[in-house]
Amino acid sequence: MQEEFQKALDFANYRQTFAIQRKTLKEKIDAKLTYGFNGGIFKIDRSLLNFVEMLIQNNRSQDVVILDSNENPVLVKDLVSFKEEVFDRYFTATNEYFEEYQKIKKARSVESLLEV
Amino acid sequence: MNKGVILFAHNNRQIDYARMSILCAKLANKNLGVPVSLVSDPSTVEWMKESKIFEEAANLFDNIIITHRPEDGNMKNYCDGKNITPAPFSNGNRFSVYDVTPYDRTLLIDTDYLVMTNDLNQYWDVDAELMMAPRYNDIMGIERVGYLDKNISETGIQMYWATTVMFTKSEDTKVFFDLVELIKEKYKMFADVFRFDYRIYRNDIAFSIAKHILNGYQTVKEYNLPDVFSVADKDILHDVSKGNLKFLIADKDRYVAASVKNKDVHIMNKYSIVRNYEKLMELAE
Repeated sequence: MQEEFQKALDFANYRQTFAIQRKTLKEKIDAKLTYGFNGGIFKIDRSLLNFVEMLIQNNRSQDVVILDSNENPVLVKDLVSFKEEVFDRYFTATNEYFEEYQKIKKARSVESLLEV
Repeated sequence: MNKGVILFAHNNRQIDYARMSILCAKLANKNLGVPVSLVSDPSTVEWMKESKIFEEAANLFDNIIITHRPEDGNMKNYCDGKNITPAPFSNGNRFSVYDVTPYDRTLLIDTDYLVMTNDLNQYWDVDAELMMAPRYNDIMGIERVGYLDKNISETGIQMYWATTVMFTKSEDTKVFFDLVELIKEKYKMFADVFRFDYRIYRNDIAFSIAKHILNGYQTVKEYNLPDVFSVADKDILHDVSKGNLKFLIADKDRYVAASVKNKDVHIMNKYSIVRNYEKLMELAE
C-alpha cells in the first residue's frame, strides 16, 4: 500500500510539472504569434489568416486597412507580402509547438520533462 | 530614431545588482540586437572595479551613467526560497530614466529580467509612446497570482508592472515621468488617496498611478508590453543546463520542478541568479 501511495504522489508531481511545461510552451508560442507591423500589433491566428486570404481572393491587396489586436486601423500597403509574412510566422510557430508538444507528451518522468 | 535598453543597478549588502546587470545586458544585447546602457552610482562602480568586472562592463555597455544612489531608506525582504533577509532597496530614481537615457526609444528593464528571446523586438515600432506590462504571469499559473499582484491595493486601481517599460522621448512621456517623481516624493499622500501600503516604495505602484491619472482616471484599451512571465522569490533556480533553466517552484509546503527554455523570464530570487551566474552567462555567449 505504501508503494502504491508513493506511486500516486510521484504521478501527481509529474502531472504538476507537465501542466507548467505545457502552459509555458503555449505562452512561448503565443509570443511568436505576436507581430508588430506598421505601428500596430497583430495576433496571428486563424481569423487573421482567413481574413487576409479572403481579401486577396477578392482582389483587395493594395492599401488595405486592417484592424489590429487593439482594434486600431493599420494600413497594409502590400497585403500579399503581409500575408506571406503572417503565414510564414504562423506555420513556423505552430510546427515548433507541435514538435515541442510531442516531446512533452512523450516525457514520462519529471526528469525527462525538465530536459524538453 | 535610435533605440536601446537601459538598466539600473545599485548594489546593497545582499545583492550584487552590478553583476546581474552584466548578465541582463549580455542577454538583451544578444537577443534583441540593440545597445544597452547602465545607470549606476559611484559606490557600485567602485565595487565593480574591486571585483574586476568593470572592464567587462565598460566593454559591454553603450554608456555607463553615474548618478546619485537614491537614499530613501527603502527596505525590502529579499527571499531565497524560504530564507528571508532584509536589506536596503535603492529603486527610487527610476523616474529619472527619461532624462538619463541616451535613446529616443528606450526599453527599461529590471536586472532580474532575463531576455532569452527577440520577442520584445515586435514592440519598438508600435504606435504608443509608453507601454508597460499590464499583468504578472506566474510560472505556476493564476492560482499563485494574488489580488495585490493585479491591483495596487484592495480598493485600488489596476497594477502595471514596471519590470519592463518601453517609451519614446516626448512631451507626454516627460509629463509621465515627472508625475512618477511627484508620486514618489508624495508617496504617503498618494497612499492615502489610492489606499496602498506605503511602507515600501514600489515603482510598479508609482508607475500605475501615473498611468491611471494620465489616462484620465480611467481604464483605456491601449498597447501594452507582454505580461511579465515571473518566477517568484520563494522559488529557486536550481540549475541551468542545455539552455534549460530548472526551477523548484514553491507549492504550499513542498516544491514542484519546472523548466524554462527560450522564453523571457523574470527571476525574482536574485540570490539564485547570482549562484547560477556562470552558467547563465554561457547562454549569453
